[in-house]
Amino acid sequence: MTIHPIRSDDALTYRPAQERPDSTSAYDSTWTEQPAAQSPTGLDRIMGQGGKIYVVLAVVLLIWIGLVTVLFRTDRKIDRLERRLDRHISDDE
Amino acid sequence: MPTDARTTPLVNQRLYRVVRGAVVLLLTGILVAGFLGRIPQLDILEQSARNLYFHVPMWFSLMAATIVSAYHSAQYLRSGNRIRDLRAREAARIALIFGGLGIVTGMVWARFTWYEGTGVWWNFDPKQSMAAVLLLIYGGYFVLRDAIDAPNTRGRIAAVYNLFAVVTMPFLLYILPRQMPSLHPGGEGSPAFSQTDLAPAMRWVFYPSVLAFLGLCWLLYTQRVRLAWLQEKLRKIELASGPRDEAGV
Repeated sequence: MTIHPIRSDDALTYRPAQERPDSTSAYDSTWTEQPAAQSPTGLDRIMGQGGKIYVVLAVVLLIWIGLVTVLFRTDRKIDRLERRLDRHISDDE
Repeated sequence: MPTDARTTPLVNQRLYRVVRGAVVLLLTGILVAGFLGRIPQLDILEQSARNLYFHVPMWFSLMAATIVSAYHSAQYLRSGNRIRDLRAREAARIALIFGGLGIVTGMVWARFTWYEGTGVWWNFDPKQSMAAVLLLIYGGYFVLRDAIDAPNTRGRIAAVYNLFAVVTMPFLLYILPRQMPSLHPGGEGSPAFSQTDLAPAMRWVFYPSVLAFLGLCWLLYTQRVRLAWLQEKLRKIELASGPRDEAGV
């Protein structure tokens, strides 16, 4: 899936008044060249190490923990179901 | 009412096992390739660009799960078959799970890259905010279900709500965010990402990752459907023969 951006000069003629991603200043604080920020402290510094690889680790861990939680909860439901079924079978005998 | 589910299994066992094995192998490979593979040099993102392989498939899973859920809701309205209602519910549950994971991983990703040093966890990015709205809509589906006792009424009303909910999905996740300045690619508003916007080196890991997570979705979904159907059958047995407890006769 490739997205073909309109060339910026074309875009200006199509919709001059509308705020556009490449002309808005809404996100200026986040990605335009800022004067060198003071070096990060605390949690930012830890997560920033190793080229921010720990951010990837955090994401993978979150997904993993979420999936493991689903796994355990489903297992518990199965256990409860089996116990109910056993009660029935033993009662019918 | 004859339980036809006994003769026709809910899911083909062989297919399930094949998919399970494939997903496990594929995801293991994705993990290895995701961490060790080469990625383009990027400002701000640096190595965290690897989150592409993990965060984005959460959303593909959400979209697939909502579509499956809506499909079964539509079929339930046509046939009144209880299993359809169960499938719709479990698919919606999977959608919520993966959507929740997607939101949380997105927050963590942005917090330490674009918002490093600012302490900002939620930046009201259009896609982020709209995804949260979508999750609230699907949360509403479950609140609605809990509010109605009679199974048939509950199934029908929930199915109608589900169909409305799925219609909002492409607008909230896809169309609207791209019209607005956003951190997410597609609106040309994220220079850090648009250099790649799927660099060839990353495609080889990204597409298999999407497939693997979709497969995982399907596995969890069929597991829960089988579980729900077992609960249903047991309830029918108990209603027919009277509930038993430990001390009961």
